[in-house]
Amino acid sequence: MRDVKTVTSNVSAVEMMRVEMLTGNVAAAWAARLADVDYIPAYPITPQTEIIETLAKWIGEGVMKAKLVQLESEHSMLTAAGTASLTGARVFTATSSQGLFYGFEMLYNISGWRAPLVLVNVSRGVAAPVTLEPDHNDVLAARDSGFLQFHAETCQDVLDLVLLAYRVSEDRRVRLPSIVNMDGFYLSFTREPVHLPSQETVEEFLPPYIPTLPFRASRPVVKGASVLGGHIYTYFKHNIHESMRRAIEVFEEASKHYAELTGRVHEPVEGFKLEDAEYVLVMSNSFTTMGKRAVLRLRERGVPAGLVKIVMYRPFPSAQLAELLKNRKAVAVLDQNISLGMGGIMYQEVAGALYHQRNRPEKLMSVIGGLGGKYISLEEFEYVFNVLQHPEGRDPSTPLFLFRKDELEGVRKALGLAGLGGG
Amino acid sequence: MANSQINSFILYLKIRAKAYIYKTRHPSFGCGVWSPMLKIRFHGRGGQGVKTSSRILGRAAFLDGFVAQDSPIYGAERRGAPVISFTRISKTPITERGFIFDPDIVIVMDETLLNDWLARPLDGVKKGGAVFVNAQPGFPPPEGHDDKFFITYDLTGRALEILGKPIISSPSAAAAAKITGLITKSSVLEATADELAELDLKDELLEKNIQLAAEVYDAIPSPVINTEESGSITREISPLDYEPVTYEEVIHLDIANLGNSALRRTGNWRIFKPVVDPEKCTGCMVCIIYCPDSCITLNENNKAVIDYDNCKGCMICLRECPLRAISSVREVRVYA
Repeated sequence: MRDVKTVTSNVSAVEMMRVEMLTGNVAAAWAARLADVDYIPAYPITPQTEIIETLAKWIGEGVMKAKLVQLESEHSMLTAAGTASLTGARVFTATSSQGLFYGFEMLYNISGWRAPLVLVNVSRGVAAPVTLEPDHNDVLAARDSGFLQFHAETCQDVLDLVLLAYRVSEDRRVRLPSIVNMDGFYLSFTREPVHLPSQETVEEFLPPYIPTLPFRASRPVVKGASVLGGHIYTYFKHNIHESMRRAIEVFEEASKHYAELTGRVHEPVEGFKLEDAEYVLVMSNSFTTMGKRAVLRLRERGVPAGLVKIVMYRPFPSAQLAELLKNRKAVAVLDQNISLGMGGIMYQEVAGALYHQRNRPEKLMSVIGGLGGKYISLEEFEYVFNVLQHPEGRDPSTPLFLFRKDELEGVRKALGLAGLGGG
Repeated sequence: MANSQINSFILYLKIRAKAYIYKTRHPSFGCGVWSPMLKIRFHGRGGQGVKTSSRILGRAAFLDGFVAQDSPIYGAERRGAPVISFTRISKTPITERGFIFDPDIVIVMDETLLNDWLARPLDGVKKGGAVFVNAQPGFPPPEGHDDKFFITYDLTGRALEILGKPIISSPSAAAAAKITGLITKSSVLEATADELAELDLKDELLEKNIQLAAEVYDAIPSPVINTEESGSITREISPLDYEPVTYEEVIHLDIANLGNSALRRTGNWRIFKPVVDPEKCTGCMVCIIYCPDSCITLNENNKAVIDYDNCKGCMICLRECPLRAISSVREVRVYA
C-alpha cells in the first residue's frame, strides 16, 4: 500500500489516495465495501467467486458491515437481491455466464420492480463448448432487460463504475438496476494499481438510498402486479424506457461530480486519439487496452488511426457515438460476441445509431474477435486497420472473423487428436 | 511484517551460493539498456505457487515505485498441471494485458516443462533476455538459446530443506526480481511477507519463506537484460472467412478417439516418485484399487508395476500399501 497525492480538478481539494494492487474482482469488492452495501446474496461461479470470497472475508473480520447469504442458485440469488432492494437495502451481487442465464427471468422482474441494485457480471463465454474465458454473449443477452450496463476496461474502471452505477441507479429520475461488466481473467484475475477513494469521498458522492414505498412488515405493498390487456403493460414499459434514456444525462452529471472528487473522468463513450483520425475502431471492455496500443503504433507510422470505447452500453449513447464518428473515412466495430446467424451485436447498434447522422462514415465494417477469450494480438488489430484503409473487394457487412494461422494449425491438431480428421 | 524483523531473519541466514551462470555469447552483458516495459513469464505446475510468484514480483515492483501488472492463466486441471503467470513492470502505464508472447525473462519453475509440447516455456523469449530454470546443479542450458542469459538454481531442493514442502513461490519471485536488476531486496521480502500473509500462512512458514527468498535473491546473479521491443509483425493473420475453411458437414464437438488421456503424459507432474520393493510386494492389489489414475498393474511375477509415463506422484499408493512395500524417491531426471 502506498499513498500518493492526487490533485483533483477542485484546486482546493487534495486528497491522499490509497493505491493498491488489486484484481478486477477485488476492485469490485472494494466498491461494494465503499458503497457500504447492506445485503449481498451470493452464489459461486468462476471467474466471479473471488468477489464474494473477498466480501465474506471482510465481513468475517468485522471490517465491513453487511449481510452475505449464499443462496441455492442464481435464480434465488437474484430474487433475493431484487426483493431486498425494495425494502430499502443497498444490494450488491455478482455472477457470470451460465449463472446469469440461470437467473435470467429475474432480471426483467428486478427492473420492472424498479429495484436499483448493482450486479457485477464477470464475462465468460457461454457453453457449449465449455470455457472459463471471456466474451460478451453473456452480458449482452441481458441488454434488453432494463438493467443499465457499464463495461470496464481496467480494474480501476470496475471500482469507479460500480460506484457510479449506484449513484445513477438510485437516482429518482432513473431507479433502475445496473450491471457492471468486467472480463474474466483479463480483469477479474489481473492485478494492477487501483486508486481507492476514501470512505468520506464515497459518502459525499453517494447519498443514502431512499426507497419509494418500501416493503415493511407493518405496511403491505404489492410490487410488480399483474396487468392484463396490454395497455398498462405498454405504459409501464414505455416509462422504464424513458427512465433509461434519461440515465445518460444523469450518468454525465454523476460522472462530473466523481471527477471533481477523484480526478478520474468517465464518459458514456470515450474517444482515444480521435482529433484527426480517419480510421476508427469501436470496441469495449478489457481488450480496448490492446486496441489503444495498436492505435499508438499505427500513429508512429503515420496512419491516422483512432479508437472509440463504449463504456455505457445501456442506455445506448447513440447521439454521443454518432458525434464522435461523424466525418470519419472508415470505422470498424469489433464485437467480442456473436449473434449466431446475424453477426456482431454491437455492429448492428452502431449502424443504427449512425443511420440518421448526416456526415456518417463512408464505410462501416464488422469485425468479430476474442470469442471465448481468444487473444486479439497486435497483429490482428493492425490487420483490421489495414483492411479499413484498403477495403477493396470486401463486403463490409460480412463480419471479418479475426484468426491467426498458428491458431488454425492448433485447431487442426486438436481435431486430429479428437479423431475428427482435421489433422 | 516489520522491516526490522525481516532484517533479523537475514542476519542469521546461511547463504549458500548455488547459482550457475552459463557463459553467453551476448556481448552486452552488464551494459545493456532497459526497454520501456519488462515482461516476465512464469511456468510451473499447479501447487508450486506459480500465481503467487507473479504476485510477489508484481507487488515488489509496485513497492519500488513501478507500475506493475500480474495475472495467472490456468484451466480446469488439477495440482501438477502446467500453470502460467505473468508480471509486467513499467515506469509508465501498462498498455497490454493477458498472455505474454515475448517475455524478457522466463522463470521455469519445473525443468520437466522444457520438454512439454503444450507449455513450451521458452517460446518467444527475446534475444538478450534471460531464462531461469529451477534445476539441480549441472543442468545443461537448453539448445538454441545461446543469445539469452541462462541461470539455474535448485529451488525445489532448497524449499524441501527449508520449508519441508516443494512450494517455491517466494524463491521464484526472488530469482525473477534479482534478474530484472530493478527490484530491491527489501521490497521482495516485504512483498513476500504481504502476499503470503494474505494466504494466511503461519508465521513460522512465512519466516522460512522470507529466509529462502533472501538466500535466492543474494545467490542469483543480476545480468543486465538487454532486449528490444519486438516491433515486427511475425504471426500471419488468417481470418476464418478468408481462409478456405469450408464445412461441408456439421462439426460436432465430439471426441471420437477414446482412451486418449494416455497421450497426455502426466508423469512429468511428479516431484516424488513411488518405487515398489518387489521383495516386499505380495501382489495384494490394494495399490491398484486406490490409484486414481489407473497407473498400476501386476506383472507376470504378481508384483505391482507403476506406469511412470502417467503416474502423477500423488503417493496414495504409498499410504495405502499394507506391507509398506512402496517408498518415495525424489524425482530428479527430466522425463522426455
